[in-house]
Amino acid sequence: MSIIQQVTSASLSDNWRTINIDALDPDSSTNFDTSTLRPSLAPVSESEIRSIGQQVRQLLRGGDAEGALRGALESAPYGGDDSVKEIHLGTVVEVLQGIRASEISGILGRIWGSEGGSEVVDCLMKYLYKGMAASATVGKTPSRGSTLTPQSTGAGFSQMGGRPGAQNESSGAAMSVLLSWHEKVVDVAGLGSVNRSMTDWRKV
Amino acid sequence: MAAPEVHHLFHHPIADHSFSADKQTLAVARDTSVELYGRTGSGFKLKDELKGHDKLVTSVDIALSTGRIVTCSQDRNALVWEPSPTGYKPTLVLLRINRAATFVRWSPSETKFAVGSGARVIAICYFEEENDWWVSKHIKKPIRSTVTTVAWHPNSVLLAAGSTDAHARVFSSFIKGVDERPEPGVWGERLPFNTVCGEYLNNSAGWVHAVSFSPSGNALAFAAHDSSITVVYPNGADQAPRAVVSVNTQLLPFMSLIWNGESEIIAAGYDCEAYRFKGNEGGWQLTGSLESKGRPGVGAAREESAFNMFKQMDLKGKTNDDTQLKTVHQNTISTIRVYEGSGGAVRKFSTSGVDGRIVIWNA
Repeated sequence: MSIIQQVTSASLSDNWRTINIDALDPDSSTNFDTSTLRPSLAPVSESEIRSIGQQVRQLLRGGDAEGALRGALESAPYGGDDSVKEIHLGTVVEVLQGIRASEISGILGRIWGSEGGSEVVDCLMKYLYKGMAASATVGKTPSRGSTLTPQSTGAGFSQMGGRPGAQNESSGAAMSVLLSWHEKVVDVAGLGSVNRSMTDWRKV
Repeated sequence: MAAPEVHHLFHHPIADHSFSADKQTLAVARDTSVELYGRTGSGFKLKDELKGHDKLVTSVDIALSTGRIVTCSQDRNALVWEPSPTGYKPTLVLLRINRAATFVRWSPSETKFAVGSGARVIAICYFEEENDWWVSKHIKKPIRSTVTTVAWHPNSVLLAAGSTDAHARVFSSFIKGVDERPEPGVWGERLPFNTVCGEYLNNSAGWVHAVSFSPSGNALAFAAHDSSITVVYPNGADQAPRAVVSVNTQLLPFMSLIWNGESEIIAAGYDCEAYRFKGNEGGWQLTGSLESKGRPGVGAAREESAFNMFKQMDLKGKTNDDTQLKTVHQNTISTIRVYEGSGGAVRKFSTSGVDGRIVIWNA
């Protein structure tokens, strides 16, 4: 059909190389829904994730930083939609900011050594990268900025459309927290954890 | 532990390597040709060059008893090189694929070989006597992406394949007239061609670099790009596996792995050194590297005198030379193979990599 029509004297040279033969093959990967390759994830509603966030904050206020971090990471809403994921990112970043730098190594070491610890640390790595991506765009998307760093909402609005480099102070602080966590996570979980945060299809 | 035997053949990546049964011949895939090296004393000397492919040769395998060499290449072809008194004679195998061939291995029976390809198929090739011709049959479903690696079960019927769709799969490649009907086992009872005996995916789902059956064939290990190895213990046809054990490591991903007995796996990859895993159905652990670091001759030999320090600072602007890795391989290891062993236990294994070295290790 269409392939034959395209073989003219002009296309006989090398134009045929530009034909996307995959589009014509019903079995090809371009005509295939890749999400069916993986087991589906349980959906998470917004109210559920908010209540988890409340529980985590309660633990954090009660002084159980390790429990709060573990709880937040173990209940990561892989199956939730984008807004649910944003809410949980806010929770995780809040926990990370609420833990003193001197305690980070100890907490990570204990989590890594515990049962299923590598999963939890890998999940933390994903949130670190997501958090860094979010704080880089915080000036442009006020809704994200408000979930990430609630106290900066006003500044976030006022800088809408500003230069990408011109971030407000608190997002810079959030970034430095994330970077110091990143360093400690790599110390504990190695480069393998960075790899897994890239290959994993369960996105946070 | 005796020091490994290191052969630095050239400054070019080695895509794959294979030793003949008597270990006197070494086939190395280099660029668009396959180079055959002969053992001379303690070293290897270039003996012959097999030129037949016109694109990068991706894989090479020597059949141990017949001495036939099979090669496959990004030019979408596979060639079988038949040894003869006047040298190796190539025969083209029609793979009928429209993407690069990525990986080839002889079955243990040496009557068939499997070629993985970017066309989302595995071509199972066998010799048809009446036509005097190698023909291929395709395993297609349910592969959704490039097949990066294949590995044979000891019974020459079951084939494991790893793919960039992050699945490791076990297929039947039973061909009437070529294979004996296999004994029923943990992978299934009736095994017509293209039966999918198992499909495995680990949690973080990196694309699969290497697969391997245990010596008994009753367990499957695979290494993926999420820096993990996963070991699967199946439980008969149409049933969930008895155990799937995944080890997430702190290291870079592994490119290749072999079993040493039923309770040990040796894997190597982007960290440029081989690592040992031990375990069983209950769990697997990384037990450490097979290299003893700080070997004499790699820097320890250099005298750390003040004179030397200032000399280095004068010459290079720094005191120690950090352009060399502490490992034997100086770049990614891409292939690891059993060199010498018996009954599933490995005594020696060989590795090759991007740095152009072939290293023979004591397991």
